[in-house]
Parts: sequence; structure tokens; C-alpha cells
Amino acid sequence: MRLEKCWFCSSTVYPGHGIQFVRNDAKIFRFCRSKCHKNFKMKRNPRKVKWTKAYRRVHGKDMTQHYYIYMLFQDSTFEFERKRNRPERYDRNLAESVLKAIPKIDKIRVSREEAHHKNRMKGKKQKLQMEAVRELKQGISLVKAPSVLQKDPSLTLPKVKVGVSRQQSEDNHPMEE
Amino acid sequence: MAATFASRCSRVGRSLLGGLSNSSPGLFSTSHELTCGNFFSQQQRTFIQMRTVLKVVDNSGAKKVMCIQALKGKKGARLGDTIIASVKEAHPNGKVKKGKVVYGVVVRAAMQRGRCDGSEVKFDDNAVVLVDKQGQPIGTRVFGPVPHELRQKKHVKILTLAGHIA
Repeated sequence: MRLEKCWFCSSTVYPGHGIQFVRNDAKIFRFCRSKCHKNFKMKRNPRKVKWTKAYRRVHGKDMTQHYYIYMLFQDSTFEFERKRNRPERYDRNLAESVLKAIPKIDKIRVSREEAHHKNRMKGKKQKLQMEAVRELKQGISLVKAPSVLQKDPSLTLPKVKVGVSRQQSEDNHPMEE
Repeated sequence: MAATFASRCSRVGRSLLGGLSNSSPGLFSTSHELTCGNFFSQQQRTFIQMRTVLKVVDNSGAKKVMCIQALKGKKGARLGDTIIASVKEAHPNGKVKKGKVVYGVVVRAAMQRGRCDGSEVKFDDNAVVLVDKQGQPIGTRVFGPVPHELRQKKHVKILTLAGHIA
């Protein structure tokens, strides 16, 4: 029993699921579900279909092995997948050490993926904040009538500062909603 | 209107003209799917039955055969079954000539066949390997991939001749 990868979306195909299509040149395509199969029949390129792993790897959303080319161990986490297709001579010690290493490698891979994601999303909070401030500046008339603003200048938008001032601009947000 | 016409077209094109109704349940979904507009990819693949033209993938001399009977199976033959066929097209100098009635083993079928682990396999086209009454292949080479369902049906000779086993 082997857990295969879906050709289209790269998710695992468990036994009992999916369809295997054998083309006349003897290339086997495995699909995890009919969604992937139908997309394949439509001749869609998985590298262009947003929800597939292939797209995410190509567009840098998920970690690939080329990303950290200077980290040698990075290759090993993906190397294991490739090694499954080459049968190795059975060696008890090797088998034992591999079984011990599997959970460790999984942990490392997960932590690296998280780090990559964090890196990718860096500066998002800042960007959202800036956008919110700009939106508020533009639409301040929705929050307070312009005549009121002119009468009472303390109600104008304060400069975004760390701490107390920011709280005031944030208070305006729920009102705008 | 157009959808039902299209579905009727596909049914006629793919099934027997004589009126053997294909009671495969997938046909109900076909007419529904055809309304989406993807006419070519939503084909419902069915059994190999009378008048099905199959490709011959060995070097016995024949190129195309037409099934005249599926041994075993009321609805038709599937992957790994034997059929009786009539040779429609042949190489000019081969072991079998046009018009001969031969037996064949289906080695590739467009209809998916369930495997014992629960998955399903399907191939790109319908193909046979011509055999004699005893089940021994007439040709000496087999082209293209073959499924390993043949092992269970005791067509070991074909498996040994094959280039790829799916």
C-alpha cells in the first residue's frame, strides 16, 4: 500500500480514493477526486490553477527546496519524498534510524513552513493600518459632518502615533463600519 | 432543448444502435453535466459490446477489430475480458486477414475498472490483443501499457510480452 500524490493538486491519495488514468505512453496520472480529474480533462495547467500546490510552489507562496538553497538540510526534507521511488537494500540499523528521524524531520519542515509564511506576511499589519488611516481620512465626512469638524478642530484626525493617539483613530473605525 | 438533443446524440453515438440499453447509472448524470457546456470531457465510458471497434496492439497483422460478442457479461466486456471479434482492418501481410473471426483479450478500456484496493483505473482507448481459443496470444509483441488485472485472468503470456504494466 502506498500513499500517492494527486497529479493535479498534490494532495495525498489514500487507498480507496480517486481514479488512476493511464495514458498510452504509459504515464500514470493519479487524481485524488473528480475535481482534479475534471480539471485535468479540461486540460488545465495545475501551475496556473490557484488552489493547487504546484501554483503555490511556483509563485512562492509555499516553501520549495530551491528557496533555501544555502541550507543543505532543507533538501533532505523533500529528498525523502524523492527517495521513496528508489528501493534501498534493507539494513536494520538504517531502518531504525530513519524511523526515529521521521517525526523530527516533520517538525522541522513544519516549523520552516511557518517561518516562510511569517516572512511572507511580514509588513501586512503595517500595510493594513496605513490603508485604514487613508480610508478614514478620505471618508471622515461619513463619520462626522464637515460643519462640526470645522467648528471643533480637536475632532480632526490626529497624527498616527504609537500608544494613545492610535487608539483614537481606531475608535473611529467601528463608527465608520 | 439543446442539452437533451446533445445528450441523445452522445447516447446514440456511443451505445448500440440496435437498442441494447446501457443500464449503467452514470447516464443520468451525463445529461445533467452536458448542460454545463463541456461536451467533450463529460463522456460516459461504457462497456465493450457488439459493434465496438477496438484497436489491436500486437503484431498479429490486424489493425482494427469490431466486437461481435462479449463472452461473459450481459452488458458487455470490460478490462481483462475476452471478446469475439471480426477483423475489419489488417496489415497486408499478416497472420490474420480481414474478415476473420478471432478471439481477443481487452487490454485497455476507456471505462474505469475498480481495483481490489478501492481505486479505479482507466485508459485512453479501447485495445485488444488477439488470442486463440486456448488464450495464447497470436502475435509475438504487445504495444503500450497493459493492466495487471490480466494476471488474475491468467493471461500471463500477454503480461510477459508487454512493455509496460500499468
